[in-house]
Amino acid sequence: MYAQAFFVAVFGLAAIGFGVAVFRTSSMVRSALALLFSQTAVGCMFLAMQTEFLGVLQIMMMATEMSIMTIFMVMFMMDPGGLGGMDMSHQKRFSLGAGAIAASVAIAVALLADWGPVTAEAPDAAMQTRALGIELLGRSMLIFETAGVTILTAMIAATAVAIPVHTLADNGDKEASE
Amino acid sequence: MTVAVVLVALLGSAWLLAVIEAWLTTGRLRPVAPLLAGLSHLGRESLLPRKPDRLFFETAPVLLLVVAVLGAAVLPLAPGLVIADLATGALFVNTALAYVLVALIMAGWGPNGAYAMIGGWRFLGQLIAYAMLIVMPITAVAMRAESLLTTTIVGSQEGLWNIVYQPLGFVLFFIAAMALAFRAPFDLPTAAGELAGGVDAEYTGVRLAVLRLARLVLVVTLAAATTVFYLGGWHGPLLPPWAWSLIKTLAVAVSMLLAGRYLPRIREADLMRWCWTLGIPLALLNIFIVGLLILVVP
Repeated sequence: MYAQAFFVAVFGLAAIGFGVAVFRTSSMVRSALALLFSQTAVGCMFLAMQTEFLGVLQIMMMATEMSIMTIFMVMFMMDPGGLGGMDMSHQKRFSLGAGAIAASVAIAVALLADWGPVTAEAPDAAMQTRALGIELLGRSMLIFETAGVTILTAMIAATAVAIPVHTLADNGDKEASE
Repeated sequence: MTVAVVLVALLGSAWLLAVIEAWLTTGRLRPVAPLLAGLSHLGRESLLPRKPDRLFFETAPVLLLVVAVLGAAVLPLAPGLVIADLATGALFVNTALAYVLVALIMAGWGPNGAYAMIGGWRFLGQLIAYAMLIVMPITAVAMRAESLLTTTIVGSQEGLWNIVYQPLGFVLFFIAAMALAFRAPFDLPTAAGELAGGVDAEYTGVRLAVLRLARLVLVVTLAAATTVFYLGGWHGPLLPPWAWSLIKTLAVAVSMLLAGRYLPRIREADLMRWCWTLGIPLALLNIFIVGLLILVVP
């Protein structure tokens, strides 16, 4: 129990540390990969809490997601290498206030909510995977399917918006005749 | 003890693969050559490019090696001979190998060189092509075994190997594994003739030695994964189980090398188009067929 609490704390601190690193660097690639490792540390927290499937899934998903985000950050920022001494933070006073309020709300929820009795022993890892699968295909199916379809729609819409529109006026008659 | 055995098997297979690769290329069988080449790298100057991202530059080769070994940690050589028989084993292989991409982005960005950077981003494009073709065939394998435990997956193939039960899945996984290992014909991230080595370009000395070793270990890990998922793992007559695992793993690795020698290189944009317009529908069809077989055949 104590060893578990220790590792949860260590990975939690690592997650916060990498999270801070996201804003402490000017290099977009460093920033994105710091976020990746912050999320990986959260995955390790899941593992330390004996939720194997969620941990492994989190660690896997973040590797690809954050890597793909890296290339978007490099493409869209004017100084991706951070050699121009760009400052990653802005609206500092507002951010400090918002951060402090959000943190205190999160801590208050963690301390004040009734979490129910602590499970003495986590179920077997294989049973957890099974229970999760039944949950996803049962009670929570509608929620996850709705979220999935919404994300897919957003992706298709974003791609459609990003594709430049070739009108007849742009291309002249040549394109139209082909 | 198990850890030591698996590590020795992994390194031994990587060495054997290097010998066979040199044999196929030069026509000369020189068993000591890979060791000498490795040692000679250690003796060379390890150059540091100008204004590198030092952290990424140093981390990338080690990360690549670590994730390749971690991927092998859940693959059984024989009954009981597995470092960690995780309840999420089949997923874990994919999790570990997802960090190959992270390592290559680091190796591409770290040295502050154009060729390396293009190589790194190319691998990202390659991932968008192959990623689904790794996960979806594994899903069908797990469906048959009704488990993500790699040992149970091998056990489920006792009567009939998955290469016969789901040949479509095998073909897709094999191609995707070659793309993940960035071997020819999917070796554009390193593209020797065009990018002067790509992600390898700026590495020299001991760092290059680690990078090359990591690439070999990655091929062995992927070949071992193919063996576990499709070729019945340790099952086979007469010989002891571990021997069958090793023979099959080496056979898959060599077949990857041979396929690379005789196939033309594919541009990552073409690879992406083929994978998304043909590969993913086929992978879905494979899942559907396996589902039907599970329901219909007792």
